Amino acid sequence: MTINLTRRKFLQSAGCAAAAIPFARMAKAEDVFVRTPYTAPGSFAGTKTVTGGICGMCFWRCQMVGKVRDGKLVKLEGNPKSIDNGKSICARGNAGVKLLYDPDRLKYPLKNIGKRGAPVWKRISWDEALDECASRMNAIIDKYDEKSLAIFPHGSSAKYPMEFFEYVIGTPNNSEASFFQCRGSRDMAYIHTLGTPAGEEVDMPNAKAIFMLGTHLGENVHVSHLKKYLKGLENGAKLVVVDPRFSASAAKADIWVQIKPGTDTAFLVAIMNYLVKEEKYDKEYVDDYGYGFDDFVEGISHASLEWAANICDVPAKQIKQVADLLAANAPHVSIHPGRHTTWNGNDFQRERGLACLTGLLGTIGVKGGFVKPKNPKVGRCGWPRVVNPHEESLHYQGEMHPFSPPGTPTDLIRETAVSGDPYPIKGMIAWGQNPMQTIPDPGLTIKMIEQMDFVMVCDVMPTDITMYADILLPETSYLERYDYVKRGTQWDYSQPHQQYISARVPLVSPTSADHERKDSVWITNELAKRMNCAEHIPVKSAEEMVETILAGAELSLKQLQQEDGIHLQPGEDPYGVSFDVDFYNSNVEEAGFPGAPTYVPVPQPPKGYARLVYGRVPVHSFNRTQNNAWLHNEIPRNPVWVNDEIAVHLGLKDGDEVALVNDVGIVSAGTSILKTTPGIRKDVIYTSHGYGSRNPQLSVGANVGIDDNALISNRTIDPETGTHGMRNSFVRIVKEGKILDIPA
Amino acid sequence: MAQCRAAAESHDAVALRLAGWLKFMAQSMEYPQPDWLTVDHLQLLYSILDELGWNEALEALPHQDHILSELGMVELQVEYTRMFINAIPHIVAPPYGSVYTDSEGILFGPSAEKTKRFYHQQGFDLRGPNDIPDHLNHELRFLSLLLQDGKLCESEQFMAIYFRPWFQLFHDRVVTNTRHPYFRIMAELIHFFTKEDNEHDN
Repeated sequence: MTINLTRRKFLQSAGCAAAAIPFARMAKAEDVFVRTPYTAPGSFAGTKTVTGGICGMCFWRCQMVGKVRDGKLVKLEGNPKSIDNGKSICARGNAGVKLLYDPDRLKYPLKNIGKRGAPVWKRISWDEALDECASRMNAIIDKYDEKSLAIFPHGSSAKYPMEFFEYVIGTPNNSEASFFQCRGSRDMAYIHTLGTPAGEEVDMPNAKAIFMLGTHLGENVHVSHLKKYLKGLENGAKLVVVDPRFSASAAKADIWVQIKPGTDTAFLVAIMNYLVKEEKYDKEYVDDYGYGFDDFVEGISHASLEWAANICDVPAKQIKQVADLLAANAPHVSIHPGRHTTWNGNDFQRERGLACLTGLLGTIGVKGGFVKPKNPKVGRCGWPRVVNPHEESLHYQGEMHPFSPPGTPTDLIRETAVSGDPYPIKGMIAWGQNPMQTIPDPGLTIKMIEQMDFVMVCDVMPTDITMYADILLPETSYLERYDYVKRGTQWDYSQPHQQYISARVPLVSPTSADHERKDSVWITNELAKRMNCAEHIPVKSAEEMVETILAGAELSLKQLQQEDGIHLQPGEDPYGVSFDVDFYNSNVEEAGFPGAPTYVPVPQPPKGYARLVYGRVPVHSFNRTQNNAWLHNEIPRNPVWVNDEIAVHLGLKDGDEVALVNDVGIVSAGTSILKTTPGIRKDVIYTSHGYGSRNPQLSVGANVGIDDNALISNRTIDPETGTHGMRNSFVRIVKEGKILDIPA
Repeated sequence: MAQCRAAAESHDAVALRLAGWLKFMAQSMEYPQPDWLTVDHLQLLYSILDELGWNEALEALPHQDHILSELGMVELQVEYTRMFINAIPHIVAPPYGSVYTDSEGILFGPSAEKTKRFYHQQGFDLRGPNDIPDHLNHELRFLSLLLQDGKLCESEQFMAIYFRPWFQLFHDRVVTNTRHPYFRIMAELIHFFTKEDNEHDN
C-alpha cells in the first residue's frame, strides 16, 4: 500500500511516542493465521467430497454428500450410494448451504439484559451461560419441584436434552410439536387400532389405488416418500384425493373429493358402512385378525352415503364411486395415514377411521398396502431412566386425554403455567422448537412465558421464541455435528431387499474463530454437571453417542466412512406381516369415547367468515427455513387462496395485496397476495405455513407473508389425545384496511 | 509485474509501524473483555488519538476508569453484541466482507473464497478449518503480517481489491449507527490507517 501523506507522516514521526507500537504490548498474541507453503490449484483442485451427511432441512433425513472446497461447503448432493433418497435432494436440501452461512445465525451465548420479547443481547461465555441456566433451573426446582420445568423440544438435536429433562431431572411437562401439533393423533389412533404407529408406511409403488385424505404430496415434499408416490402413479395406480382444495395431489387424482373441512370421518364411516353392507370388504382378513367387528358394524350402521353426502357436501354417488374403486383394487390399496393430522380436534376418530378402513380392505402386509419396513438393528444410547415422571403428568393426574402421545398435552402445560393450578410451572426450555409459530394462540404462550422465572432457548437461528429467552444458546447446524443414526430399507419393496445404516457426521468443522456454537450433547452434559447429574451422563460427546449406536450393528464411524457414509446389507421381505385390527376398541369406549370410528361435528364459520386451512409449500419446512434466501426467492410469500366466485363478489382480483383478520379480531401482522381459483371451496381460505416471523433479526423472513399460526385462536383439543385441532379458526379478508365479509 | 508505488515510496520502519497499528486495530475490534482491554491498551489508544490531534474523539471517549469498570465493560459488550453479533431488530454491521460485496449478502460468499485464496497465495492459512476468511479482524491481522514480511505491494493489492471495497460500507454503518463512541473511533482509525491517501491530503 502507499504509505504516505497524513498516515505516512504520522508513522514517520520519530518523536511521536504513539507512532511505533511495540508488538510486545499487545495483550493477546495473534493466532488466527498459520504459515503454509502455497500450491497452485488445478481447475478443481481442493474440492473434495465429504460423505456422511444427513439432511436436516426437514425431518425426513435424506442422505447427502457435501462438496467442500478449502474449508467451505459449496454444494450439497444426494449420496449416490443411498437406497433411500438416492442422488436426489429437494430444494430445501440444496439450500442447506445457505443456512450454514446465514449471517443472521446465532453465534455466541447471549444474555438478555432487556425484556422478554424486546431483548437487548449481551454476548457471554459458555461458562457464564451454563452456570446461569443451571443455577436458575436448580433454584426453581429447589423452590417448587422438578415438575415446575417445562420443555418444548423439536428435532433430532432436541432428543438428548429432552430425555435428560424428562428422565433424569424428572419433569413430565414435555410438549413435542411433532406430536401435539402434528402427528400424535395419527400414531396414537393407529396404535389403538393396528397396534403399531402409522408412520407413512404404505407401499405406494406397488399399489393399484392410493387414497389420500388431506395429504398433499408435491407440496409436502420428502424425497423417498415422493418417489414411492410417483412410482405408484407411474405404475398405474388410481389416485383418490380428498381435500377441500385442488392441491398438487388433487391435480393428479382420478377422483378429487372436494370435501367440507372437518367432515372427513363422516366420509370414511360412510365408505366403511357401504363396504360392509355391500359385502365388499375382506371377510377373510376381518375374520382372522379383526376384533369387535360386530360392534363396529353396529356403530357405523347409521352412516349411509346420503347421510355423509349431506355432512361432507359431496355427492353420494362420488362417495360410492370412491368406495367401489377401493374395493375393486383391494387389497393392493394404500390408505395413506397422513402426516400432519392435528386438524379439527376430532382427529383421533378420523385416524381410527383410516386404520379401520385399512383393516376392512385387508390391505395389510400385502403389495400396495400398509407394510412396515424391516429395518436393521442398531444399538441404543441415551439417558438412563432415573425417574419416570409420566404418572405425575397433568393429563394422567387429571384423568384427561388417556390416549395422549408421549409427553404432556401442550395446553395443559400452558394453562397450568398461567393459573398455577395444580402446581407452578416456572422454568421453560425451548430447544429447536419455535412455539410462537407452532402452537396455536401465541397470546397464551406469551402469558405462560411472562410468568416464568427463567426461560432458556437453544436454537440455530433467531426464531420468534428466541426473543423471549433470558439465556439464548447457539447450536451447531445439522451440517456441523454428529447426530443420530438413520436406518431403513429400499423404498420400493419390489426391488431386491436391502437395509441401510448411516449416521449424521459433520460435513464441515463446527469450530471457527468467529463463533462459539455447540452441539446439544455437549450443552446438555454441561448442564447436567451443573445440575448435580454428572453421574448419569451416558456419553461424553455426540460422536461417542453415534459410535455407541453403531456398535449395536457392529459398525463404527470409521467403517461408515470407508463405505462412503452408508452401510448396506441384505434386507428381509417386509410383506406377509399381519396386524390385528381393533375395529371396535373397548379401551377407547371404557375411557368414555366412541369405540367405533365416529364423526364428531366441528365448529362452523360464523357468518361472514371462512375456515382457515393451511398446508405446506415444497420449499419450506414450517418456519425453520423462512430466512433462507434461496428458498425465499422461490416462493417469497404464501399466497392466500380464495374461491374465484367469492373474489368476484368481493371485488378482489388475483394478485391483490391482502391481510387476514380472524374471528377474535387478530389481524395478520404481514400481508400476502391473493390467489383466486375455482380450486378451493367457497367456505375455505387457504394459505401455507412457515411465513411471517415476528423476529426482525431474520433479515429475509421477518414479516414477510402471513403467519397462519398467529390467526389460530380457537384452541380446539382432540379429547382422546390432547393434541391440538388447528383448523377451527375463521378469517375474513382485509384489503387496504377494509374488512370484507365472506358471503355464505 | 509492474512495480507498485509502495515499493518506491515506503521503507521498512514505516511498514512495521503500520503493521503494529493494524494488529492493534484488530485486537481492539475483538469482543471487549478485561483480559485484553486493559489500562495499557487504552493508553495506547488515547496516545494515538492525542498524536493524531483527534481531540473530539478523545473528548467523546469515556475515561478509562469508566471503560474498565464493570458497567463500562458491559456497555461496550452490549454494543458490540448489537453491532456485530446478533441484535433486535438487526445486527447492524456484520464484520464480514462478503455480506457487503456479494449480491446475496451471504457469509463465506465467493469474495470470501477469493480472500482465502489470496491468503494461500501469500503463504498463509487460517488456523481454523471453518474460519470465515473475510472477517474484519482476520483481514487486519493478515495485512499486518504482510507488512511485517515486507510485502508492501501485496498489501496494497489486498487493500485495494479485498479490503477497502467492503470496509467502506462497514465503516459507514458503524459510524452512522453505533451508540458508543469507542466503535465509531475504531472505525475511523481503521479507515485512517487503511485508506488510500490522496495528494491533496498532504
